[in-house]
Amino acid sequence: MTDVKTQPPATTRVAGAPVRAGRRHRPLWMLIPGALLTLVVIVIPLLTAAYISLTDLDQYTIREWIRSPFAGIGNYTEALTDSPLLHAVAVSAGYAAIVTVITLPIGVAAALATQDKFRGRGLVRSIFLIPYVLPAFVVGTVWRVILQPDGVVDGWLGTDRTLWLNGPKSFWALIIVQTWASWPLIYLLAVSGLQAVDPDVHEAAALDGAGWWAKLWHVIFPYLRGPVSLALVIAFLHNVNNFTLPFVLFGIPAPHDVETLPVLTYVESFQNFRFGLSAAMAVLSLLLVAVPIVAYLRAVRLTTGEES
Amino acid sequence: MRKQLAAVAGALLITAVLQGCGGDDDSGGGAGQTINVLIGANTIYPDQQRQWFTEVSDRFAKENGGATVKFETFASPNDELTKIQTSVLSNQGPDVYALGTTFTPTAAATGAFETLGADQWAKIGGRDRFVPATLGISGPDPEHEVGIPFAQRPFVMAYNKDMLAAAGIDKPADSWDGLLQQAKKMTGDGKFGMAISYADGFDPWKFIWAMSIQAGNPLVDGSTASLNDPRTLLAYQTYLSWLATDKVVDPAAVGWKSAQSIAAFGQGKAAYLPMVSASSRVTLDKSSVAGKYAYALMPVIPPGATSTPAGGKPAASILSGDNLVVAKYSKHKDLAFALVKMLTEADSQQSYYKTFGEMPTNTQAAEALKSDPLVAPIIESAQKSVGTPFTGAWSQIQLALLNVVVQTIPDLSAGKVDQAKLKGLVDQAQTTAQGALDKAK
Repeated sequence: MTDVKTQPPATTRVAGAPVRAGRRHRPLWMLIPGALLTLVVIVIPLLTAAYISLTDLDQYTIREWIRSPFAGIGNYTEALTDSPLLHAVAVSAGYAAIVTVITLPIGVAAALATQDKFRGRGLVRSIFLIPYVLPAFVVGTVWRVILQPDGVVDGWLGTDRTLWLNGPKSFWALIIVQTWASWPLIYLLAVSGLQAVDPDVHEAAALDGAGWWAKLWHVIFPYLRGPVSLALVIAFLHNVNNFTLPFVLFGIPAPHDVETLPVLTYVESFQNFRFGLSAAMAVLSLLLVAVPIVAYLRAVRLTTGEES
Repeated sequence: MRKQLAAVAGALLITAVLQGCGGDDDSGGGAGQTINVLIGANTIYPDQQRQWFTEVSDRFAKENGGATVKFETFASPNDELTKIQTSVLSNQGPDVYALGTTFTPTAAATGAFETLGADQWAKIGGRDRFVPATLGISGPDPEHEVGIPFAQRPFVMAYNKDMLAAAGIDKPADSWDGLLQQAKKMTGDGKFGMAISYADGFDPWKFIWAMSIQAGNPLVDGSTASLNDPRTLLAYQTYLSWLATDKVVDPAAVGWKSAQSIAAFGQGKAAYLPMVSASSRVTLDKSSVAGKYAYALMPVIPPGATSTPAGGKPAASILSGDNLVVAKYSKHKDLAFALVKMLTEADSQQSYYKTFGEMPTNTQAAEALKSDPLVAPIIESAQKSVGTPFTGAWSQIQLALLNVVVQTIPDLSAGKVDQAKLKGLVDQAQTTAQGALDKAK
């Protein structure tokens, strides 16, 4: 971080051109389409959501939503004090973190296992991607059948009518299924990291007589740090925001142990028609997901225009 | 100069686009005009439904000077809700919607649909062409109706004739207590007295509502909710105990949705299958119980009673089916009402029943069906159906009722009903329901 100050400001670094000429001839107008798109796709909906979160918009006022009564921070107070929001945040963050931690070694191990060429490597790599490319709806439906009381899992474990889709075990059911569906993301980014490993370093390590563990720990892993930490952030956010899987697995209203944030927000909007309250919840969950993003951006110093 | 030209061209383009969006007004004749209808996709008879769309449009064009009907389908109530929300916001969209009965109050709360006065009813062919019970969920009161009954799917109970005969039972009980006694007699050897879908997204609250109203608690009275009434608590206890302590339901049913109960009944593993509509025939007629089952009314005497108590209503089913509503923003209201008139005529309703198995709402068409013995109980149930409370808060209340069952499933699976916990959940549902009613306008 200390060397940031010594860097010249980013603007002066454009192709080393003199500052004045650069400013005059930079075709900034070419940014207009991008800016318009950002405005229409991101900024306006975001502002609308923020506005809605301050109103008491419901099924009675939606016809003239712009005139729905102003509620101030009422929705935020209700969300934080008189709704299952905090419980949902705990469930979502907890399960997302656990899944991320579990998928990390699986993904990296799978990437390492398919690093060296062998017969059928392409096939194995494709098979690894199957859980990732299956639509979440399909994954949820299939696992729902597998996890039924007296279903396939009970058959495997030799147990009787285990309740996986409700009660305390449902939390672990969610973790198991989400792990199954999401580890290939870590795998993909770890593969890309491994491809960047310079073949020379393998040779150098071999010459120095490094064992496989030393080689892995001191040579390979430093290359993986960047892509894998990106993968961790994306995986965590992906898990926190996952709506389809819990929705399909457990239905609504969600059992208490798997009442995740997206499902709660959905129920408030589309079952209870409390659009204002739901928007407030969405804004609060945006703050939640902003935490890992900011941490990541700071870690890779993207905010300063500096590559790590 | 070039800039000015571009500005003029731009203005012209925008005007043209805006005009295109605005559509055209009703100008009497129908030629070239299109009525858009949003209706649920029929997953059991998809081909027949497409065929029916074409027939309706052709016939409508013939009778209305060339105006056509364009159908759009939705896959789930949520799809429909999204469509209604966007249409309501943008003031354009389908002219006519087919709404599920229990969703009608919530949709009506948006104020986006035409209220039916004498004028409108006359255009449809008169309010008296409908089976009176079917109008029970058309509006908060007869002066403010928005929904025009289109089809009925009343709930009944299927029973396995062989199993009842083997147990020496001559007919299904008409009280819930009696039904439990009969179910106990038929439980054993891997077979169960009842198949119940505890994990279904809709079935559970329908049982609770039915037992409550039969005991005299309608759950909602004006702007007051009464979900924590002892009668409703007893309804929950009865419903949950079937599996937990009475053991007349397969313990695996804690994970069953409606389709799985129907499947279990179809395999001959259950004697009674309450809370099914006529559409279960499609599955059951292909199952091992084909020809060995019949339908009957569900019990109408509440738990703990031997006859309908004072203030109780012998409701056989929720008022279930579809209502048609006409959007206020429609630019073709007369044509829309003409279409509704056509769809609710006796012959249209009869052919709709023959194709899709949904009961007519037209009195004349309903009378004609009474001669079919398998259908007779369904018609009877339709006549004894009672509408769920007409309030915009109903969907929240429904979800609160369902939530009690969802959160009790772990106990159920462990073979118990924890009274204190149940009471706590019911109190919580009451708070939610009352909160929703307080916001109702």
